[in-house]
Amino acid sequence: MKKDDVKSSDLQATIQSVEPVTGATARKRMEVVVRLSNKSKRALHYISDMRAMRYDPLAKRLVIALSDEGREILPLNVEKVPVIRHIDPQSDAEIRISVPERIIKLPSQTPGGKLAFEKHDMAEMQEVVVEVGWADVPFYKDTRPRKAEASRKMPAALWEQHKVRTTFRMPKSGAPKTE
Amino acid sequence: MAMFLLTDATGIGSDDLDPGQGLIDLTIIANDTGFGANAAAGGQQLITYAPTLTGVVQQRLDTLVNTTFTPDYGSGPQTVDIVIAAGTAAFVLDDGTSLANNGTSLPPSNSGLPGATLNPTLNNLLIYDTDQNICVARAGTGGDIDLPESNPVVLYHELSHSFRILNNTLLALTATCDPASPEENAAITDENDLRTDLAMRQGVTPELRDPNIHCGSVGCDGGCCIIATVASKSLTSQEVRSLRCVRDHFVRNTEIGHSFFEQFFQDYYSFSPQVCTIMARDRQLSGHLLEGWVNPLLDFWKIIIARSRPSMTIESMGAEFVRRQPSGPHAKARRDALQRTLTYWSDGGSDENPWRAELAQLLRERAWPSEYIQWALVSPVRIYYDLIRMCVDGAGAHAIGCELERAVASWAPEMPISDVWASLSAEEVATELAFVESALLQTARCRRRFAQRLRNRLGHITAIAFVLNGREQQRKGAS
Repeated sequence: MKKDDVKSSDLQATIQSVEPVTGATARKRMEVVVRLSNKSKRALHYISDMRAMRYDPLAKRLVIALSDEGREILPLNVEKVPVIRHIDPQSDAEIRISVPERIIKLPSQTPGGKLAFEKHDMAEMQEVVVEVGWADVPFYKDTRPRKAEASRKMPAALWEQHKVRTTFRMPKSGAPKTE
Repeated sequence: MAMFLLTDATGIGSDDLDPGQGLIDLTIIANDTGFGANAAAGGQQLITYAPTLTGVVQQRLDTLVNTTFTPDYGSGPQTVDIVIAAGTAAFVLDDGTSLANNGTSLPPSNSGLPGATLNPTLNNLLIYDTDQNICVARAGTGGDIDLPESNPVVLYHELSHSFRILNNTLLALTATCDPASPEENAAITDENDLRTDLAMRQGVTPELRDPNIHCGSVGCDGGCCIIATVASKSLTSQEVRSLRCVRDHFVRNTEIGHSFFEQFFQDYYSFSPQVCTIMARDRQLSGHLLEGWVNPLLDFWKIIIARSRPSMTIESMGAEFVRRQPSGPHAKARRDALQRTLTYWSDGGSDENPWRAELAQLLRERAWPSEYIQWALVSPVRIYYDLIRMCVDGAGAHAIGCELERAVASWAPEMPISDVWASLSAEEVATELAFVESALLQTARCRRRFAQRLRNRLGHITAIAFVLNGREQQRKGAS
């Protein structure tokens, strides 16, 4: 059987738009529309829901991670399983990601260890980055006994083979620019 | 003294926290006159508790509130308090984890426990979203994720983690949610104590969470459901259970059905809990909604489900509708109730009753703009009204069946098209389309209309264009 060599560039992403959403919902939010294109000859599997969001106030950059890489294991009320979809060979797909209009971040380090938060209004952001974790195989639960190192990583982070990253500069005037 | 409720903190304002809801949630957990809180000072409220009850839940709360915890995490005993931040969906931890529809209990920064590196303080920091819309695994179902979480239950789950953090007895935490880690298993077991206690207070059967499964998903009817409240006064009645079963096993287990309900829940629960509050003040309203909306709506959807069976004919569909109508004067009463509902929906503001005016405004602002609400909850009632008028006027099963078929054929293909269609592969698009067609779009005209809408909206997506073009060619070939 011919082997399909998948390259990290086979899944491409572009942010189509970042816009505030108005409507019947109670929570105000912004919607990021991402277009994915599979350039390879085999189906690719990707995480289609937001797993983390990180805001850099100095760069005014919001990173939306559709990936579990870098997330810590915490005592949580519920663990939300990532939604993994697949995209056919030579095809495209579109996903919409909802972002709250503001983020209240709990920094891990504060002066004197005092409880303090950072509030960031997403209307101020100048750049949106979307990272999508993907692999050329579907996600299957790893049923082997886990080694200590692996047990500290989220299962989807162990599954992920590649990550595609796309940047969108919020328009000051004129057309927005996607990289 | 060990427990505080955050009312203010550096970097955020009082608008960003919801201490009022936090206190309500704690009060619901305690359900005891001995529970209270001091006035806010220094950005936090001290929680106080002099128990008069001795249940499992009250004992746990008593321990958490009235013990001075001095765990030794390796560098000697240290006093650790619980600080609760009841907040909005906007909270995010340093690693990017969003706490929307979730909650966490972060151990002190120097404890070396999981999550400690994300806590800047030496206290146990408990943060939870006070606007929960999350589903978890229901016990005894083999993992059906359809059990709603309420604020007090989420808070109590996190307090269970706090209990072991403060005693330095935190169990193993792993990244897998099925099976749940020992620590999450213990927290869910404790959570079920509160679920049982809450159910006993209401005199209903407890709905428990599966301690072996920690997975969950957003989009659950965790708020008050008007339909369930009006129809049965209970979320666990046979009527509501059977409809939920259809929803979850017939519709929500498809990609399109799941995404439909995600958006529907988002819109529905933006007004449904408030309607429940209005109903609690206006008992007449509940009775009116039962005959003037909920019963016809449930009937309509049962007929639509029955309609998807291949054996159903126009005649038998009409007969099914007639069979569901109450006899003589009761059918007229239902027709009149429906007429009042539809009139109210069109000019609700004219009502003298201030609560009903409030309801009208709520529906105008939150419900009517939603195409999901219009399609699933409003249009069916309009169709039903036309049919019951025919029924009361003496039309037979065949005539009613014909009108029902005509009305459904106009209504069904206008089903809202969710964004998830754009993210599916060609095979999935074909499968989902086949499901929608078998369940709702039985005629060629319906199918063409829906396909046209899908093409207009998302024809630029490869998978959708591929499937629709393929079908078009097949159709041309056949003709």
